[in-house]
Amino acid sequence: MKPKQVFFCIVLILAIYLPSCVNNNHEKNDRIVVAIPADAESLNPLFAFSFQEVNITELLYLSLVQHEWNDSDGDVKTSPMAAKNWVWNDDSTTITLNLRDDINWRDGHKLTAEDVIFSFDVYSDPDVQSRFFGTFNKFYLEKDQHIDLQKSFDSDNPYTIKIHFKPHSNPGLVDIDPPILPKHVFSNFDRKKFVQLEKGNDSVTCGPFYLSKWNPTQSIILKADENSFLYKPGTVKELIFKVIPDYNSRVTQLKNGEIDLMENVKPDQLSDLKALNRIKISAVKGREYDYAGWNNKIDLFSNPKVRNALTYAINREEILTEYLGNNGDLAVGPVAPIFKDSYNHNLKPFDYDPQKAKELLASDGWEDINKDGILEKNGVQFSFILNYAGGNPRREFAATVIKNNLKAIGVDVKAEPLEQGVFMEKMFTHKLNAWLAGWSVPIPIDLKPYWYSDLKQGSFNLTSYKNSTVDELLDKIEKSKPGSLKNELYKQLQEILYQDEPVSFLYWIDNNVAYNDRLENIKITPLGSVHHCWNWSVKN
Amino acid sequence: MVCFIFILLRISPGDPSLKFVSPELNPGLAQKIKESFGLNKPIAEQFIQFISNIFTGNFGVSYEFRKPVAGVIKNYLYFTFVFSLISFIIQITISYFLALLSVKKINGIVDRFLNKTSLVLYAIPSFVLGVFLIFIFSEKLKLLPASGLMSYDSESLSGSARITDYFLHMILPVITLSLGGIAVFYKYLRDNLDEVFNKPFVLNSYGYGLSKKEITKKHIIPNAISPLISIAGVELGILFSGALITEVIFGLPGMGRLTVNAILSRDYPLVVGCTFISGVLIIISNLLADLLKAEIDKRLIAGMIN
Amino acid sequence: MKKVISNRVFLFSVLILILVFRFEYIINSFLLLFYFIKLFFTDYSIAAGQCTLNLFDCFLSAILIIILPAVIVIYRKSLRFLNSGVSFSSITIIILFILYVFAPLITTSHPEFQKNINVTKLLPPLSSVDQIHSLKNHDALGTYFSLKQKVIKNSFDDNLLFADSIKKDSVLSYFQKGQRYSLLISGADHSEGDFKISRKHFLLGTDEFGRDIFSRLVYGARISITIGILSVLITFILGSLLGFFAGFTGGILDSSLNRLSEMFLSFPVIFLIILIIALFGNSIVSIIIVLGFSGWMGLFKIVRGEIITLKEKDYFLTAKLLGVGNFKLIFSEMLPVISAPVIVNLIFQFGNVILAESALSYLGLGTGGIYPSWGGMIESGQSYITHAWWMILFPGLALFFTLFMTNSLGNRIKIVFNPRVKK
Repeated sequence: MKPKQVFFCIVLILAIYLPSCVNNNHEKNDRIVVAIPADAESLNPLFAFSFQEVNITELLYLSLVQHEWNDSDGDVKTSPMAAKNWVWNDDSTTITLNLRDDINWRDGHKLTAEDVIFSFDVYSDPDVQSRFFGTFNKFYLEKDQHIDLQKSFDSDNPYTIKIHFKPHSNPGLVDIDPPILPKHVFSNFDRKKFVQLEKGNDSVTCGPFYLSKWNPTQSIILKADENSFLYKPGTVKELIFKVIPDYNSRVTQLKNGEIDLMENVKPDQLSDLKALNRIKISAVKGREYDYAGWNNKIDLFSNPKVRNALTYAINREEILTEYLGNNGDLAVGPVAPIFKDSYNHNLKPFDYDPQKAKELLASDGWEDINKDGILEKNGVQFSFILNYAGGNPRREFAATVIKNNLKAIGVDVKAEPLEQGVFMEKMFTHKLNAWLAGWSVPIPIDLKPYWYSDLKQGSFNLTSYKNSTVDELLDKIEKSKPGSLKNELYKQLQEILYQDEPVSFLYWIDNNVAYNDRLENIKITPLGSVHHCWNWSVKN
Repeated sequence: MVCFIFILLRISPGDPSLKFVSPELNPGLAQKIKESFGLNKPIAEQFIQFISNIFTGNFGVSYEFRKPVAGVIKNYLYFTFVFSLISFIIQITISYFLALLSVKKINGIVDRFLNKTSLVLYAIPSFVLGVFLIFIFSEKLKLLPASGLMSYDSESLSGSARITDYFLHMILPVITLSLGGIAVFYKYLRDNLDEVFNKPFVLNSYGYGLSKKEITKKHIIPNAISPLISIAGVELGILFSGALITEVIFGLPGMGRLTVNAILSRDYPLVVGCTFISGVLIIISNLLADLLKAEIDKRLIAGMIN
Repeated sequence: MKKVISNRVFLFSVLILILVFRFEYIINSFLLLFYFIKLFFTDYSIAAGQCTLNLFDCFLSAILIIILPAVIVIYRKSLRFLNSGVSFSSITIIILFILYVFAPLITTSHPEFQKNINVTKLLPPLSSVDQIHSLKNHDALGTYFSLKQKVIKNSFDDNLLFADSIKKDSVLSYFQKGQRYSLLISGADHSEGDFKISRKHFLLGTDEFGRDIFSRLVYGARISITIGILSVLITFILGSLLGFFAGFTGGILDSSLNRLSEMFLSFPVIFLIILIIALFGNSIVSIIIVLGFSGWMGLFKIVRGEIITLKEKDYFLTAKLLGVGNFKLIFSEMLPVISAPVIVNLIFQFGNVILAESALSYLGLGTGGIYPSWGGMIESGQSYITHAWWMILFPGLALFFTLFMTNSLGNRIKIVFNPRVKK
C-alpha cells in the first residue's frame, strides 16, 4: 500500500535525522553568542527604549565620551571616545571638544562635528519623539524643548565643537553622551517618519561593531569592524544576540554551550551552573530594588509608625534567601550600596520582628477587639489589597510571603495580581492603596522624581509622600556638584526616608550574569553585561 | 465584530503610551507619543477614522512595531500559515490511516486500542504535553531543540543542513499541536465509517457482488468524509488564527502570540488587524470546506446515478 | 463491563475511610460548632466577627461526613447512578465530588500555608519534616479559640516551625539548613509541655514556597469545579434561552441571533477571552462570566436546530392543533426532546471550561495569583521542572483525569441517547 510506504519513509527519515543533531558543536573561536529574552524593537539609538536595546546600540554607535564603572567609589568614570580631549571654560558653561579624525561611517563618510550637532538636534526634536526628548535641560532650549542650535553649538572646523550650556546649570560629561547619528543618512528622511524606518535600515554605523544581519524574533548578528579605532586584533569578531524567550531554554543552552552568556540567572540555578566548570558567574551588585508601596495619603498608611511596623512585619530576609538565594541585599533606602560614597552605611536594615510590629501598631491604637484575628481602630479593620503586576515570579513570591507575614500580625491582606498594563495605569494615576513594584536607580543617581512632594517634579512619587525637609534636600542635591557635599546630602536624605519609610524598601537585586569560561578579558559592570565587549576575546 | 473589539479596547483600562513613562525619560514624551497615536482626540472622532480606515484596508501603524499593521502581520502570518498547514496535513493523514486501520475490524484489538488512546490523547492539555515533551526530549535526552524556529547560525549552514535545522525545531511543536487534532479527527472518522458501513446501501452493494475494497473506496470513504470536511474547515481556520499555547511554549513567532502580545501592550491597531485577519481566514477556510463538500456530494450523487 | 463493586460501595468506603482517619478532627469540629453556638448566644459581637467562610465550610463538611454515609445506606435502592458498577469516569466523579465537599477534612494544611521556606521548599512526594508546635499561649485564649486554632487551617501560624532535625536536652535545639537554633524549654515561663514535636508529612511534596501540593490540588479542584459549574450554568441559560426564542419565534429575531452566533464562531474565542480578561481584570467572577459567555454559540445552534425540526414534526403539530397551551407544549413536548443533546453539549462544555481556565492560568491570566488553580500550578511548576517534577505532574494528572472523565462521560451519554452509534 502506498500510504504505508510514505509512512515508513517518514519514520526512516526521522531515524536518520535525529541522531545527526546530537552534539552540534556551536562553539566557534571568534564568535560569542549572548542570549536575550526578547527581540529588540529598534536598534536605532533614537528609539532604543529598553536597557537591552541601549546596550546593543552602544556597540553600534559611538558617543563623544564613554563611561566606565569605577568599583572603588561606586561612580562612573568618563573617558574619551569619539572626542579625543576636551576643555571646560572657567565658569563651566562651555566645553570645547576635539573629535578624532579617524572615524568613518560604514559608508565611508567621515564622522564630523556636523553629525554631533545633528544628533543633538534630532534627539531633542519633539517631532522625532526620541528617548532623549526633554532631557536636555542644561542646554539652551526653544519653547518646545528643542535645543537652540544657534546658541548651543559652535564649530569652526569639522573636528572641533564647542557646546554652550545655560549658566548655573552644572553641566557634566553625562549630558553629552548620547550616541552620534550619521547626518548624511538621516537628513534624507522626514523627521516625523523616523520612527517608522524599517528595521536594519539604520545600518550606517560607526561603532566597534556593525549590524551584519537581523532576523526578527530570532537573532541579531553583529560583526566587529576591523577599521574601528576600538578594534584590537584577537578580540571577538562576531557577536550574536540570540532571542530565547523561555528562561529554561536559555539555561539549557548555556549548559550545552549553545550560548556563551546570559543575564538574570535565577538564584536556584546558580549552584547547578557553578558545578559545571565551564561556566563562570559574575554577580553584579544591584541598582534595582523592590518595594512595597503604601499610599501615604490614605488614613491606613498615613502614620510613619504604621509603615515602620509593616516593614518590621515583613520577613524580607526569607524572600532574599529563598527566592533570590542571597543574591541581593536588604534595602534601607533608595540609594543602592553600589554607590559607595553616597550610601549611608550607618543605617541598619529593619529586622524581621513581628512582635515589635505588633507593639508599634498597638501604640497607634490598632487592637483586635472582636478577636477575629484582624486589628481594628475606631471600628475600621486593618485590611487592604496588595496589588502587583502579574507575570513576574519574584513579585509573586514576595506577595505570597508578605501576605502571610502581615496576616500573622493581624493585618488582613489580599494579594491580587493585575495585568501589567492595568497595574501600571492604576499605579501611575495613584489609584492603588498598596502595591509591589520596583525601581532601578539611574546612573548617576537622581532621586528627585521619586520623593519630591510636588507631583509635577516628582512625577514618580507614587505614594504621594510629603516631607518638606526631603524636598529641601532634593533641591540642594540638584544644585550641588558631585563631591563630598552632595554625598553628605544623600546620606541625610536616606536617614529621613529610613525613619519615615514611605514605602517598605525590600531588597536590592543582583544581576547574575553567567558566561562560558572561554570568554576572556570580560568585565561585567552595572552599566550592562555587554558594556565594552569589544575588549572581550575568546580562549582557544 | 471588529467594531465590537474597537469599543472593548477603548473602554478598557491601560494606556499604550505607558511604556514610555520611566524616570529616565521626560514625562512630556509619553504625551507626545500619545498625540502621535491620535489617542488624545475624542473617541467618536477616533472611531470614524477607524471605520474609514477599515474600509480602505488600512489598519494604521502598530504602536509597538512602529510599522504598518499589514506589514507586521505579513511576517507572522507566513510562519503560522506553514506551521498550521503542516500540522493540519499531519492531523488529517494520520487520523485517516488510523481510522481505516481500526475500521478493518470494528471492536478488534487495534480498534479498541486506538479508541482508548485517542480518548487519552484528547484529554491531555497541550500545555502539559508540550512541557513534558521539552522536558523529555530536550532536557533529558538532549535530542531536539527546546524552542525557537531555527538556530542562530542557520544563516551559515548549507541548504540541506538548514532544512534539517528547521525540521528539528518543528518536531516538538508539531507533535504538541497535532496530537489533540489527530485524536478528534480519528474518533470522528472512525465513527462515521462505522456508521456508513452499516447503512443499507452498503449492504446492497455487497449484494451486487462488489469487493469490499471497492466499496470502501467508492462509497464508504466519500460518504464518511463529507461531514468531516466541515469540521476540518473549522479546525483549519482556528489553526490559522494561531496556535497560541504551542507558540508560547516553544517561543514561535506565530499569529497567536502576536495577537496576545498586541492585546497586552495595548497595541490597538495591531489587535484590530490581527482579529480581522483571523476572522477572514476562518471564514475562508469554512468556505473552502463547504465548496469541497459540495464537490464530493456532487460526485457521490453522480456515482450513485451511474 | 464486569460488575466488580458498585459506585455506592466505593463512595461509602471512601467516606468511612475519611471518617475513621480524621475522626479526631471531626470531633473537634463538632466541639467547635458547639462552642460557636454557645458564643453566639453569650457574646454576639465576638461571634459575629467569627463568621467566616472557612468556619462554615468546616462545619458543613463535618456534618455532611456523618449524614452522607447514612443517606447512602438508607436510600440504597433509589439512587440509580450509585448502583451501577464502577467505571473510570464514575470513580473520577466521585473523587472530585469528595474533594470538592470535604476539602477541609481531607487536607491537613491550608493551601497557602508556608513557613520556614528554607526547610520545606521543593520537597519530593512522601517526604516529611519535623515540626515544633508551641502550645504556650493556648490556654490563655479560652476553649473556643484554642479549638479554633486546631480546627481551622490558616495560611500562617506563629506557633509552628519546621526543622530539618531536632535535638532535645536542656534546651530544645532545632536545625534549619545546617543552622542551629535553640528554644528554652525549662525556665521561668517555659516548661517541657509547651512544645509538641511531631512530623509533618507532605503526600505529594511541596512547591517553591513549601506549600503542600496535595492541599493545593484539593482546593484547586474546588476552584476549577466551581468555575466549571457556574460558567456552564451561564452558558446553559444564555444558549438555551436564546436558542429557544430564536427557534420558537423565528423571523427577524431568529435570523439576527443566528448571524450573531456565526459572527462569534468566526472569531477565535480564546482571543476574545484573553482580550476581556486582560483588559478588565482576572477576578474569579469575570473569568466565570467570560467563559460562560464564550460558549453560548454551540448550545444556541443545537437548541435552535432541534426546536425548528421539532416544530415541523407531526406529533407536535397535532398537539398544537389539539389546543395544548404554549407553556405545556414547551414542557411536555419540547424539553424531553432537546434535553439529551443539551446535556451532552453541557458536559463537553464543562470540560472545555476547565481546560480554558487552566490554559488562562498557564498564560498568567487566570485566578492563579489568589487561589490555587491547576493551570497556575502547572505554570509555576514549569520553571522548576528539572528538579521538581512533582510540581507539574500532579496538577497535570488531575487536569487530565478530569478532562478524560468529561469526554468519556459525554461520549457515553451521547451513545445512550443516540442508539445509531454502536459502542
